[in-house]
Amino acid sequence: MLPMMRNQTMKSWRSAEQWLLGSMVLALAVAAFIWLVLGPAPAAPAYLTAVALLIASFLASLVMMRLVGASRRQIEAALHGRARAEQHATEALRHSEAQWKEVFEHNPVMYFMVDAAGTVLSVNTFGAAQLGYPLSELLGQSVLKVFPAEEQHAARSNVAICLENIGQTHSWEIRKVRKDGSALWVRENAKAVRLLDGQPIVLIACEDITERKQAENALRQSEMYLAEAQRLSHTGSFGWCANSDELIWSEETFRIFGFDRAPSMKRATVIRRIHPDDRARVLRTTKRALSDRKDFEHGYRLLMPDGSVKHVHVRAHAVKDTSSGIDFVGAVSDVTARKRAEAELHEAQRNLAHVTRVTALGELAASIAHEVNQPLAAVVTNAAACLRWLDREPANLKEARGILQSIINDGNRAGEVIQRVRGLANKTANQKAPLQINEVVNEVVSLVQHELFSHRAALRLELAPALPAVLADRIQLQQVILNLVINGIEAMQPVKDRPRELVIRTRQDEPRQILVAVSDCGVGVAAEIADRLFDAFFTTKSSGMGMGLSICRSIVDAHGGRLSVSGNVGPGATFEFSLPSHQEDST
Amino acid sequence: MTGRPASPQTLASAEEPVVFVIDDDASMRDALSNLFRSVGLRVEVFGSAHEFLQSALPNVASCLILDIRLPRLSGLDFQAELAKADIRIPIIFMTGHGDIPMTVRAMKAGAVDFLTKPFRDQDMLDAVTTAIERDRISRDEARVLSGLHACFATLTPREREVMALVTAGRMNKQIAAEIGIAEITVKIHRGHIMRKMAAKSLPDLVRMAEMLGIGPASGGPQT
Repeated sequence: MLPMMRNQTMKSWRSAEQWLLGSMVLALAVAAFIWLVLGPAPAAPAYLTAVALLIASFLASLVMMRLVGASRRQIEAALHGRARAEQHATEALRHSEAQWKEVFEHNPVMYFMVDAAGTVLSVNTFGAAQLGYPLSELLGQSVLKVFPAEEQHAARSNVAICLENIGQTHSWEIRKVRKDGSALWVRENAKAVRLLDGQPIVLIACEDITERKQAENALRQSEMYLAEAQRLSHTGSFGWCANSDELIWSEETFRIFGFDRAPSMKRATVIRRIHPDDRARVLRTTKRALSDRKDFEHGYRLLMPDGSVKHVHVRAHAVKDTSSGIDFVGAVSDVTARKRAEAELHEAQRNLAHVTRVTALGELAASIAHEVNQPLAAVVTNAAACLRWLDREPANLKEARGILQSIINDGNRAGEVIQRVRGLANKTANQKAPLQINEVVNEVVSLVQHELFSHRAALRLELAPALPAVLADRIQLQQVILNLVINGIEAMQPVKDRPRELVIRTRQDEPRQILVAVSDCGVGVAAEIADRLFDAFFTTKSSGMGMGLSICRSIVDAHGGRLSVSGNVGPGATFEFSLPSHQEDST
Repeated sequence: MTGRPASPQTLASAEEPVVFVIDDDASMRDALSNLFRSVGLRVEVFGSAHEFLQSALPNVASCLILDIRLPRLSGLDFQAELAKADIRIPIIFMTGHGDIPMTVRAMKAGAVDFLTKPFRDQDMLDAVTTAIERDRISRDEARVLSGLHACFATLTPREREVMALVTAGRMNKQIAAEIGIAEITVKIHRGHIMRKMAAKSLPDLVRMAEMLGIGPASGGPQT
């Protein structure tokens, strides 16, 4: 048998040939010995036999030599092929190893192999490069050096967990620190295994997730900002899934409605929180929005469990693509504070209007006293006359009766003036009713007669007959007209060279608009102050708060009209306001 | 006048005094009309000064009750206008509220009274009585004066000259010397003057001269 090892095989082949050659030499020596022993002339048969044997062995040696040579060449060829194959295999193995090494070293995953003590047994180039270290500075060192101080405890316990559960894969996210001190977030997958010698080691593959982490942080921050913004603006968001009739709420929406956080809310639960007076309206609005698939907007009140009332304003957008299951996306704002502020503002405006009204009445005191005094004087004079008619012999009852009727009329007239004054002095709530603007004008005129007289001003009324009614608060309209009339009278104060005439006109401008104009022939309004005229606290008078026109404008605005000023063709200015006519009743 | 006349109708003659009322307030006009009618006074009411001026004024004793506060033209201005037009009618002012400067102005301009509404009926009636009486007197005086003027117009220029000097207290001799005529001629002029002027005595003539506003200066130039 040929030895297994290649070199030995070759050696034995050579010795075999030598051995064959030696045996041939031996055969020749045996033949020569025989020839010498037997003599040159041995017995023919023996001799012949010997010669024949010699020749035969010679021939046999030649044949053997040839055979051996052939087989040796065959074997050599076979051996050579085998060596070549072996060499190929070795090269392939080496190639594969290098490839795997390459993969290990440069796979964009950081590989670490640490022992139970945390010493780095192996690390790939990529891993070392990612951390900014040369391999030599990591190998044999504690793996903790790539962790920031605050993460070292976590790193240590992670390794410990792996070691406790050999063969199980664990994963975690942790922060690492590079050699240059910069930090990176990694996700580590680790598993402890035992080496052949029974020593446990931990294999760790880790992946840089810094970007993802940053994105996550940014998202979290953005969500936090959004939540904060919602909290600050008292505006929550919601999604409404009509199919399941559920609502998905933001944190602020939960806070507004006063429910604990939940993944979703049943709409029925939420509806119960709506103020009973508003519930039907809300349901109507949402039902219509759902059937029309249209955006909607509405405001309503919430009745909270503690009995308090919140005002909310909701705007919702119909989602066209309902693949998400959400049909409406919207925002709900807690407008309670705004509503309260509005109410307070309204109240303040009302108080201010009242104060200015009372102030105006104070200024008109002489005029009002005159208006009451006039019928009173008539009553007293009539009563005296009546007595005289009755004292006559015979008493003239016809005259007396007629006079008494006049007394009643005059008494009523005085009473009306007082009522009008009381109305203006009272702090009435906004009471809009259909009324005739001409009547209101006449009521005001009755209060300013004396004012006109004492300013030597004449009043002309040009009231269009049969005007449609306006829906307005009588007292507030009186206040506006009164203010404009007094302003007009005062504007004419410096006029000496022409009659001081004030004109009040009423007319219908458009089918649904009534106009009231108060024109004076006074000093007029300079263009540069015309814009500021309606500002609060703006006044051209030495006395006065400058609130009059500002309040007039807000009153007219509240009636859906507009108050404006324009210069006259001649001297003076015209203040005009419009009011929408109230046509519901007439049609 | 302020009493209760037994029969108001009898007073409705041409000589019956008239009360004119100007007030823009219809109720007040009516009330005043009722009051004056109840005491038998004839009354005419007007809503404005203009209306009053449009009407023909009867030549009888009358007075004007004027509201101081009238549209366009105030009572005081109207008073001034009447004076300018030489319409002399006693005026009683009414006002809604007492205003001292206004009262002073009205009274200075010759108003009879100034009543604040509401006034006592008696105050008004008293004022009206006073006013009518004053008007009657001034009308009488005017009538006398116009008689005097008529008489004075019959004097010759020389007689007027003599009358002025006589009523100034000059003696006949002085007068003769002053105007350069004989004393006897002065005496003749005096006789004519007394007769033409229907003077009963020298003091009577002096009073007439005062009423006519005749003084020595107006009699002729003094040398």
